Amino acid sequence: MTDAVPPRVSTGRRRVAAVALRHAAVLRRSPNRYFEIAVLPAVDTLLYASIATYMSASSGGTRTVLTVVTGMVFWHVIHQAQIAVSTGFFEEVYSRQLPSLFATPLRPVEWILGTALQGMVRIVVGVAAVACTATFAYGFDLTGAGAGLVPVFVLLLLTGWSFALVVVGLVLRFGSGTEALTWGMLSLILPLSGALYPIDVLPGFIQPVSRLLPTTYTFDAARAVAAGGPTPWGALGGAALATLALMATAVVFATLALRRFQRRGFISRYQ
Amino acid sequence: MNAEGYVLRVTGLRKSYRGKPAVNGVDLRVAPGERVALVGPNGAGKTTTLMSCLGGVRPDAGTVELLGQRSPAARRAALADVGFAAGYLPLPPHLRVIEYLSVFGRLYGWSRPAGQARRGLETYGIEHLADRIGTELSSGQRTLVGIVKATMHRPALLVLDEPTASLDPDVALRVRTGLIAQCDRDGTALLVTSHNMAEVECLAHRVVFLAAGRVVADGAPMAIAASLGQSSLEDVYLQLSSTTPAVSAANSGTGV
Repeated sequence: MTDAVPPRVSTGRRRVAAVALRHAAVLRRSPNRYFEIAVLPAVDTLLYASIATYMSASSGGTRTVLTVVTGMVFWHVIHQAQIAVSTGFFEEVYSRQLPSLFATPLRPVEWILGTALQGMVRIVVGVAAVACTATFAYGFDLTGAGAGLVPVFVLLLLTGWSFALVVVGLVLRFGSGTEALTWGMLSLILPLSGALYPIDVLPGFIQPVSRLLPTTYTFDAARAVAAGGPTPWGALGGAALATLALMATAVVFATLALRRFQRRGFISRYQ
Repeated sequence: MNAEGYVLRVTGLRKSYRGKPAVNGVDLRVAPGERVALVGPNGAGKTTTLMSCLGGVRPDAGTVELLGQRSPAARRAALADVGFAAGYLPLPPHLRVIEYLSVFGRLYGWSRPAGQARRGLETYGIEHLADRIGTELSSGQRTLVGIVKATMHRPALLVLDEPTASLDPDVALRVRTGLIAQCDRDGTALLVTSHNMAEVECLAHRVVFLAAGRVVADGAPMAIAASLGQSSLEDVYLQLSSTTPAVSAANSGTGV
């Protein structure tokens, strides 16, 4: 080493960038991950939109297809946002980087922002795959819905990150055996939220559970916007409140799980 | 540094796991530029003590002051000037060595850390590894990269957990020489754990022996050996391990 050492100032922005670049390199060197980011969403869209097309053929309407395609596009916002942060955490666990990261000025919130920022790549690719499939295979142009889709997108993004925090908290609390929830948790939320249909079609005893989920209201608003109606600001406001409540709960849960993780001294043994 | 001039001051540290004490009232002080070795048998509480100092483990009782900052409340303010590496930790897959070092360079505060990372690699004679993926390296090479990560930002305190455990003797010697040179040049304090008593004698100004979570000896290596009527730290280690009741019980399989 030479004597001249460049000055350094550890700022939150640099630490967030460090985490984002670290996980971007992982994504860049893992071409297999593009299968789940781009191919599976396109296949999902083909599958569900084709079923919807078949089912609606007898009624002669396209509303069902629109509902399903809208649901698929927005579902993948939640899905990719959640997976990016959750799998980023597993990447640190499996490669045993937690002790090294704890010994730096990095804050947990900066780590989450870094992985979430890098996860935007996944979201863009995944949603583009769904939107392109919907456009070229079924002739649906969702961009025609305009600016009303922006708040829907933001709420779903926050929802995805919230579920990711819940998964991270569960893994910190109960160990890596619970990692299956990374994929499994959203499989529970998808039908209960009415992402692909109004929740009125769910069995009556399940509907009260659906009404507790912020995603139910966000998907309601998404369908209204995609159908070309006026932006349902009232419904979006309710969805925003419910989403913020979910996020606050997830943050508290993950924070408590992290403290317990530190109290139990898992840091050097966890893998 | 705190008001008394220590880069690390630990007082009355206690930590139990499931009711069993791992660290039981440890006091530890490291002055600027001082090289301190924390030694003891497996299960003595070395790693728990180190992790408590760095904030990865929350102690049940006691205080930790790192560069004058009380942990856990203000530890992150100090951690930009602390380096940490452990011989048992791998490098992440998918990252080239230079990328890995750049991640930590950014965490420590550089906006363009690659140049400093390369200089760090040169210091330990492994600049040819810069573009290799971490998982392609031997365990010794990984350990060296970990040490570069911990030292490239020239920290005020360097914390190393068994840094030479997987190294060949010649590489271990190179690491010791590099560490001593860096500590002397930059005034870096070193807190290191090791099971290699010959290495400890060479590296440390002061040795803190832990057994069953307690400090059982603290002093200059040869002074400790002389006070216990031994000729080397190796003999001191064996004596303390066999005469500390809790350690003897643990080593004989009866538990603490």
